[in-house]
Amino acid sequence: MPDISTLAILSIALPWAGAVLIWLVRDRQPQLQHALAVVFALAGAAAALAMIPLRSEVNVLDFPLGSAFGQVTFLPDGLAVFLAVVATTIGCLAVVFSVDYMKGEKQLGRYYAYVLFFIGSMVGLVLSSNLLLIFVFWEITALCSYALISFYNDDPKAVAAGIKALIITQVGGIGLLAGALFLYAYQGNYDVPTFLAGADRLPPNVLALMAFGFLVAAAAKSAQFPFQTWLPDAMEAPTPVSALIHAATMVNAGVYLLARFYPAFEAVPNWKLAVVSIGAVTALMAAVMALVSNDLKRVLAYSTVSQLGYMVYAIGAGGIFASQFHLLSHAVFKALLFLSAGAVIHAVHTRDMREMGGLGKQMPLVKVVMIIGGLALAGIPVLNGFWSKELVLEAGHEGGPLWAWLFMLVGAGLTALYTLRFLSMVFYGEPRSGQHVHDAGPAMKVALVPLALGTLTTWLLAGSFGHFLGKALPEGHDVESTGALLLQIVTAPTTFVALAVVALGLAAWWQRARLAGLAHSLRGIGTMASNSFGFEAINRAVVSVTEASAESLRTTHNGVLNWNVMAILVGLVVVLVILALGGA
Amino acid sequence: MMSLSLPLMAAVAVLGLLGIGLLGLLVTRNLIKVVVGMQILVKGALLALLLAGRLSGQVQTGQTLALTVIVADTIVSVVALALAVQVRRQFGTLDLQALSTLRR
Repeated sequence: MPDISTLAILSIALPWAGAVLIWLVRDRQPQLQHALAVVFALAGAAAALAMIPLRSEVNVLDFPLGSAFGQVTFLPDGLAVFLAVVATTIGCLAVVFSVDYMKGEKQLGRYYAYVLFFIGSMVGLVLSSNLLLIFVFWEITALCSYALISFYNDDPKAVAAGIKALIITQVGGIGLLAGALFLYAYQGNYDVPTFLAGADRLPPNVLALMAFGFLVAAAAKSAQFPFQTWLPDAMEAPTPVSALIHAATMVNAGVYLLARFYPAFEAVPNWKLAVVSIGAVTALMAAVMALVSNDLKRVLAYSTVSQLGYMVYAIGAGGIFASQFHLLSHAVFKALLFLSAGAVIHAVHTRDMREMGGLGKQMPLVKVVMIIGGLALAGIPVLNGFWSKELVLEAGHEGGPLWAWLFMLVGAGLTALYTLRFLSMVFYGEPRSGQHVHDAGPAMKVALVPLALGTLTTWLLAGSFGHFLGKALPEGHDVESTGALLLQIVTAPTTFVALAVVALGLAAWWQRARLAGLAHSLRGIGTMASNSFGFEAINRAVVSVTEASAESLRTTHNGVLNWNVMAILVGLVVVLVILALGGA
Repeated sequence: MMSLSLPLMAAVAVLGLLGIGLLGLLVTRNLIKVVVGMQILVKGALLALLLAGRLSGQVQTGQTLALTVIVADTIVSVVALALAVQVRRQFGTLDLQALSTLRR
């Protein structure tokens, strides 16, 4: 049995090795590429799963990188191993799904290489305990996300969406890099466990800068307010990529970052309030936008943003366990929803829900699993989404302000409403497109069934999941058995309030004809939501200001050598003057 | 009479070479003269390396670096002059102002 550090390296290196191999195979042998991708994704998942019983609370592996870069260290504790397992297993299912979804697609090598490269980097991101290394892996995942969003690179929309995602996540990356450099400046190394054990040794203002820098990084990566605009556009990516990167793994990196560093930043004034506010505003706003979108994948993207808002909110309210439990549930049921949406889109060749309808008869299995996923998203008992969402709401009720809790409640009702809306638009009613619909392929079904089973059962793991996270949870988090935890949820008054709101949301869809007057009066909000509440306009303004200033600065780049030498000389003089003044 | 020590003379020479080289880069528009100016500039830097090696007692480090610079610098000037020949053949001029494509 290999030891934990070997497994940690393997779970990163195996997918990476697969990426290189598939790249080398070239695109003339698509069957071999499919097979290699599945084999290496499976191997990575096996290595990550083997880490579960071996997890460790201290750093393993100590490989010096030399001077200022510190050591390559891994901290495979419960939190890290949990996310590594999520990344590799869902990655594995997404790769299996791709065998059918991407069949006949050109440039498979590029596709699979980036998917496997992403899986390895995501594992590296969560396992690393060197903050600089975390930053490096963080940026690699952003790069893979960009490359896969723009996979159909003859489509200008896809290219624009990829660049948008890259730029916005880079803005967040600056926050993370600044935090890493502050840590090095004040601690002398990048070691995360050392930092978490004694964060109060840092000056309070530096700690606050780090805390808010990390919050910006997390918000950009997890598509939280005000950075949420890149995720819906990212839906130009092939659907298995949306399921893997933009629903189940990479967007969770922000939530992971906040959860990992919560013990250090807890005491920073206003930090928790800021986290709660961002989560609550995002959850509600994205739910409204999901309600008015007609693109199946965009609806799912908005709902991802909204559910990530729930996780961020829970962290701000101190409910680390609740947030991670919701992360687990969400990763499973949202991957399921995205993959079944992929099967639907593959079948009808459109993402517009107005052209779908009545698909339940042609694709019965997809209908069943997608409804399971949808009900979990809506928070219907006894699916996994119900338990974790109730835990989040309970944690928020205890630890967060009342207004944010009310936001989340309304969000839960809207979630139920938009879930019913897209399910009925896709599967019920009269078939609206005259196209020939073919059922999902066998590899698609192989990927969908485990996720559906997971959606039905992961809540049974609640207690052992708490024990598994163990010391990764901040002190004072009492870990209970599954039974006690479930009983606590069932008996909590917040559960019934939330259930009532969810039922209200369902009833609103049922009675939508009678509520037409209300819907009409709310049309203004709907229009604002379709225009993404003006955030796209802000993005455009930022872009045009940047372009205009760059254009006006072009005069300094006149291409005349003499001017350039002049500028160098002036710079030299300035440096000398500064040195002279500083030395005096 | 003020005695001129070797380091002092060398320092004056360094500054002089750097100044002449920079001045050349600053005022000339002829590509060949730019290469000449760069050569003078680099010779100043070379001398500065040797001087620094002597002053810090690490003569060998200074000489090693100087040799490295000589090799790199030779390649740079050879490539630059070859480019100049090609530029003259292609565009019929060596005037940098006329050659610049970065202007609006």
